[in-house]
Amino acid sequence: MSGSFYFVIVGHHDHPVFEMEFLPAGKPESKDHHHHLNQFLAHAALDHIDENMWLSDNMYLKTVDKFNEWLVSAFVTAEHMRCIILHETRKKKNFFTGFYDLYRKFAMNPFYEAISPIPSNAFDRKVQFLGKKHLLS
Amino acid sequence: MAQCVQSVQELIPDSFVPCVAALCSDEAERLTRLNHLSFAELLKPFSRLTSEVHMRDPNNQLHIIKNLKIAVSNIITQPPQPGAIRKLLNDVVSGSQPAEGLVANVITAGDYDLNISATTPWFESYRETFLQSMPASDHEFLNHYLACMLVASSSEAEPVEQFSKLSQEQHRIQHNSDYSYPKWFIPNTLKYYVLLHDVSAGDEQRAESIYEEMKQKYGTQGCYLLKINSRTSNRASDEQIPDPWSQYLQKNSIQNQESYEDGPCTITSNKNSDSNLLSLDGLDNEVKDGLPNNFRAHPLQLDSSSDASNSIDGPDHVKSASSLHETKKANTGIIHGACLTLTDHDRIRQFIQEFTFRGLLPHIEKTIRQLNDQLISRKGLSRSLFSATKKWFSGSKVPEKSINELKNTSGLLYPPEAPELQIRKMADLCFLVQHYDLAYSCYHTAKKDFLNDQAMLYAAGALEMAAVSAFLQPGAPRPYPAHYMDTAIQTYRDICKNMVLAERCVLLSAEILKSQSKYSEAAALLIRLTSEDSDLRSALLLEQAAHCFINMKSPMVRKYAFHMILAGHRFSKAGQKKHALRCYCQAMQVYKGKGWSLAEDHINFTIGRQSYTLRQLDNAVSAFRHILINESKQSAAQQGAFLREYLYVYKNVSQLSPDGPLPQLPLPYINSSATRVFFGHDRRPADGEKQAATHVSLDQEYDSESSQQWRELEEQVVAVVNRGVVPSNFYPTQYCLSSYSDNSRFPLAVVEEPITVEVAFRNPLKVPLLLTDLSLLWKFQPKDTSGKDNEEVKELARLKLFPHHIGELHILGVVYNLGTIQGCMTVDGIGSLPGCHTGKHSLSMSVRGRQDLEIQGPRLNNTKEEKTSIKYGPDRRLDPIITEEMPLLEVFFIHFPTGLLCGEIRKAYVEFVNVSKSPLTGLKVVSKRPEFFTFGGNTAVLTPLSPSASENCSAYKTVATDSTAVCTALISSASSVDFGIGIGSQPEVIPVPLPDTVLLPGASVQLPMWLRGPDEEGVHEINFLFYYESVKKQPKIRHRILRHTAVICTSRSLNVRATVCRSNSLEDEEGRGGNMLVFVDVENTNTSEAGVKEFHIVQVSSSSKHWKFQKSVNLSENKDAKLASREKGKFCFKAIRCKEKEVATQSSEKYTFADIIFGNEQIISSASPCADFFYRSLSSELKKPQAQPSVHTEKQSLEDAVRLIQKCSEVDLNIVVLWKAYVVEDSKQLILEGQHHVILRTIGKEAFSCPQKQEPPEMELLKFFRPENTTVPLRPSVEQLSNLIKTSLHYPESFNHPFHQKSLCLVPVTLLLSNCSKADVDVIVDLRHKTTSPEALEIHGSFTWLGQTQYKLQLKSQEIHSLQLKACFVHTGVYNLGTPRVFAKLSDQVTVFETSQQNSMPALIIINNV
Repeated sequence: MSGSFYFVIVGHHDHPVFEMEFLPAGKPESKDHHHHLNQFLAHAALDHIDENMWLSDNMYLKTVDKFNEWLVSAFVTAEHMRCIILHETRKKKNFFTGFYDLYRKFAMNPFYEAISPIPSNAFDRKVQFLGKKHLLS
Repeated sequence: MAQCVQSVQELIPDSFVPCVAALCSDEAERLTRLNHLSFAELLKPFSRLTSEVHMRDPNNQLHIIKNLKIAVSNIITQPPQPGAIRKLLNDVVSGSQPAEGLVANVITAGDYDLNISATTPWFESYRETFLQSMPASDHEFLNHYLACMLVASSSEAEPVEQFSKLSQEQHRIQHNSDYSYPKWFIPNTLKYYVLLHDVSAGDEQRAESIYEEMKQKYGTQGCYLLKINSRTSNRASDEQIPDPWSQYLQKNSIQNQESYEDGPCTITSNKNSDSNLLSLDGLDNEVKDGLPNNFRAHPLQLDSSSDASNSIDGPDHVKSASSLHETKKANTGIIHGACLTLTDHDRIRQFIQEFTFRGLLPHIEKTIRQLNDQLISRKGLSRSLFSATKKWFSGSKVPEKSINELKNTSGLLYPPEAPELQIRKMADLCFLVQHYDLAYSCYHTAKKDFLNDQAMLYAAGALEMAAVSAFLQPGAPRPYPAHYMDTAIQTYRDICKNMVLAERCVLLSAEILKSQSKYSEAAALLIRLTSEDSDLRSALLLEQAAHCFINMKSPMVRKYAFHMILAGHRFSKAGQKKHALRCYCQAMQVYKGKGWSLAEDHINFTIGRQSYTLRQLDNAVSAFRHILINESKQSAAQQGAFLREYLYVYKNVSQLSPDGPLPQLPLPYINSSATRVFFGHDRRPADGEKQAATHVSLDQEYDSESSQQWRELEEQVVAVVNRGVVPSNFYPTQYCLSSYSDNSRFPLAVVEEPITVEVAFRNPLKVPLLLTDLSLLWKFQPKDTSGKDNEEVKELARLKLFPHHIGELHILGVVYNLGTIQGCMTVDGIGSLPGCHTGKHSLSMSVRGRQDLEIQGPRLNNTKEEKTSIKYGPDRRLDPIITEEMPLLEVFFIHFPTGLLCGEIRKAYVEFVNVSKSPLTGLKVVSKRPEFFTFGGNTAVLTPLSPSASENCSAYKTVATDSTAVCTALISSASSVDFGIGIGSQPEVIPVPLPDTVLLPGASVQLPMWLRGPDEEGVHEINFLFYYESVKKQPKIRHRILRHTAVICTSRSLNVRATVCRSNSLEDEEGRGGNMLVFVDVENTNTSEAGVKEFHIVQVSSSSKHWKFQKSVNLSENKDAKLASREKGKFCFKAIRCKEKEVATQSSEKYTFADIIFGNEQIISSASPCADFFYRSLSSELKKPQAQPSVHTEKQSLEDAVRLIQKCSEVDLNIVVLWKAYVVEDSKQLILEGQHHVILRTIGKEAFSCPQKQEPPEMELLKFFRPENTTVPLRPSVEQLSNLIKTSLHYPESFNHPFHQKSLCLVPVTLLLSNCSKADVDVIVDLRHKTTSPEALEIHGSFTWLGQTQYKLQLKSQEIHSLQLKACFVHTGVYNLGTPRVFAKLSDQVTVFETSQQNSMPALIIINNV
């Protein structure tokens, strides 16, 4: 994984709504990088998130799960969209806060059917920017 | 953890049982071998006691032992090899598979419904085998031999001798330092002497006597006479004896069993077995001392490169599995215990009972007592002091280090008889005889000692057993000390590096936690022990962990799935393909259809690959299919790999069943609804000057507007053919069926005409797909004769069928080879589909398969039922009906221009060819623009000149004239009927004048065709629809059509405007008011880009039913009427009414043509093509909607009046301006000809040759109120009224009067009043000056009218009345005589419409004085 991050929003029926990987600048993607592992780990963490989100009043759930050196941080929105980051170090609160601002605005869009995949390029770009700002820097 | 057959309370005591060695003489061994069993195996099924046993503990308390089991085994002097154990475990696991058809439990958790088998028998078998095959170690005594059975046979020569030999042998094994293995519990091992007696062969007497001898020597408690083999083996089949051995032997000691059959493989004798086994099952036996979960390689790696060869090309695993299967089969053939009767079974059971009661337990009891005594004697010493002194005296071996620093050692090692171990021994003994209270306290004490000594291995062992015995204590006085277990596991694993012991600890602990429903702790424990050193163990533990997750109170489904994946991965690494497949399949239930596409792809890929290696090809195919058909997020390289693998598997499947139906291929996607079907031949390209009709082809894009146009055209022509009515069963002919066309009916195709099917493929992958040998699949139901169709592949995506017989055809799908292109990843994946046919790509792999074409029709939405449900109509575009032969027309255009000047006339030729075998007739052409072309009228000379001969001739029919007769018109007349106008209401439908109305097969006809450039400049697309029928009537196809779209670009030429006005002169021969002047303005608007030098107006013709040109007035000096660029010319013509009688005799459709010639030859305007185009433009003009005022019945009379008044300003005069243009093109002068038409309807109103561009109406505000119905009373306009009466004054232009003689000058003036209307008109003429302005007075004041100043007259229709007036002048000068004011009104109307008739121009008179 080496400094990269994987971010995913999971809908109510465990469908991924939005996925993005953040790779540190300048580092080429390593050959034995396995994208599917990200999905496996994020998906497996859902059980813990579902458990933890009722135990806390915070949206940000901190680290909920770990597998080997990977940590899984989660953030649950008001409508129970589960946002997950796979990472190796550091807390991810700032990213989540920034992201939530963005997501709220997006979800308000009357043309966006809630909990459906987000196909927006603009959203993509903005998340990418947030990632660069909070995760990779 | 999954459900187990044994409860934990049964499992643990069964896992730790007293061990007894067996040492047999050769002869004894031979006796048992008769049953295909060793002595130890013989006893195995009977080694559990059926009754309770009592024992006294050191405190003399009675202790009850239930279900005690002992383990008897042959002495093996080598410790079991780890490799052999591994192999054994591997076989046990692979041998245990879920039962076929096992009904799985359905677990519902949240959204998920999962089918999960609750039991995992392979895990239980593994655990049992694992615990049994634990090698004895020094730090614990649980599986050390407590006793030894010495077995000899009664048939031996010297049995007693033999016993002492065996005894010595046992002593040697235990006490000689050559043998470090097996381990013995205490130095003074219990020896139990067993005399085997073969009942069927041996001498009973002798045995008894020997037994008596033994009893005397060893005591009754120390020996036993066991009688076996009561049955001779040859009558084996007579009675059914249960085989209690099979369940013990077959399951887990295949290898052991086999070792007896073929010597070299025995575990004891063959040290090389390790390496052999390694190579056999391909296990990675290298023990890595890494931390668990610290994967060097990724756990879920798709190592396609290395694995591909392994799994697909090298069926090693399959081979090993099958060989295993064979040995298993061989084993099942052996009947165990063939010589034993049920009595023998009872005897053996009795023997074990006896041995345990009389021999083993008293021995254990005694030993415990001894150990207890030793401990009590040592109790006097303070434990702390004891250990303290030890610390001082042996400082070197007791370092005060923390646990972590003792990484590389397991702490100190005690000598076998060290006093510290005595308490452990006692604890183990107590544990073995189920005295858990005592065992716990002993373990607890021992644990403290070992910890104090930093003897970590020993401490861990004590901790482990302390925890277990605490758990097993009856009545559970204390909670299960899980932390003991945790410490023990950690110590075993991290400090002692002994994974086997750690594993045992985990297995026990997890089972205990499970029994307490502490699933999450159990899962954590299990997961923690997964490591790199054993894939099999990791896999099993992960699977159990997964089961823990699903068994939790709130099931953790996703964790379950993830750990199943991990387990599956490990299983596959361990070579357990079936288990791996099962795990992945179970996990798949959770991931399926949730959109985690990468994860799903990974699972599908693994399932596919494992299924393939297990020869479950159908599953493999469907799994791979899933990867490819879903929108993949994989990289191109990955997709390529998937595709290759898929094709490989598919190929294998198809090779297995070469005669089976072709498989359905998932790739590429076929967009069924985009399938297009085209009936008919392809369009021929332009052949020299011949230009084929564009017709319909697959290359044309669908355009709803144009298709609607074509449909209307066809309807028109069909209506004309059917006398104005479109038949109810009429459907427009469709040559190209697509998703836009109406496909609800079976399309009709004609035999011997090809059917082209265009299939739209889409490649969803990023890698190119190679399709070869593409062909159509079809089914044909012949109608009367049986026959086969020809099939031919034309293009990659366009396929042609050629029906040879009539009947019903069904196109089912496509068949093709699907392959990949190797090593050309640079090719853009999408779009490189067709055209890869060059053949330079090496075909790596390709499979033949099919895809069906199924087209869903449009959704129905007519009835209520259809609206509320979702129903689709049929789509029959792929099911054509082949009908009988029909004529087939081809049309070619010769000399067809692409560019014309507006109004230009050009002669072209059309060739009609019948290319079919049946004659055609009823040829018609229909176009929205009939004014564009003509085939000539009926009067035209139908001698089709060959196109080349007529190249340089004029398009017109001309007659040479002498130039003297220039000014007067040449009159001719023609009827519009001759030119095909006015027959029906459909001027658009034009019959083609075929010479004998039938075009025979193979015949061709060339007809002249005149074209006239449309009046608007720009590009015009003109659609022609040719209609034709077969000579013999066909029930299915009544007619056929051919389409052509001509594209003509027109450029500006002339602009003609004309006005007509009444002539003031009375120089009419007939003396009637019917003269008019026509002013024609011709402007050259050509911008001379096309090299047009100048236009010559060669002739102006009039054409009307009532009027004709009489002569040209005021002919300008330039006789040729040349017009250079942007030049304007003016012409004036005098028109008169045709003679009345002439008009009467002619039919109303008869037009009179009058030509005024400016050149030296007359163009006969009443002949083709001039008249054709004139009539066509006329009819298209008529077609334009006239703004009719709304009719109000109550004002009928008023209406009539207005109409009358309007009528008198109407005129129907049409002007044809014929011109020649001199054009320089490629330094060659060409003369182009053309004509413009102006239609004059109203006097005084300008008319134009080309429609004036209308300003687009301004945007109006939308009004949201109803406009009030304001009916303005209809009144004729002043202008119209003023045309009722035409006035003219006749007087001398200048009048000489001698004023000096006579001061008053009287001039006679005639006022002519002519009634233009057809009704009587009352006229009032008022001569009184009514001018109000003083200046006017000044000017006109000097003259006055004399005599009657007001006249009242009534004029009949068309009547001319003259009034003689006298004007009186007193001065010389110029006077305007036009002062009389004329009022007119229709005589039958009472009050209305009195209005002044204005004099159009001033009437000036000059009065001179003489």
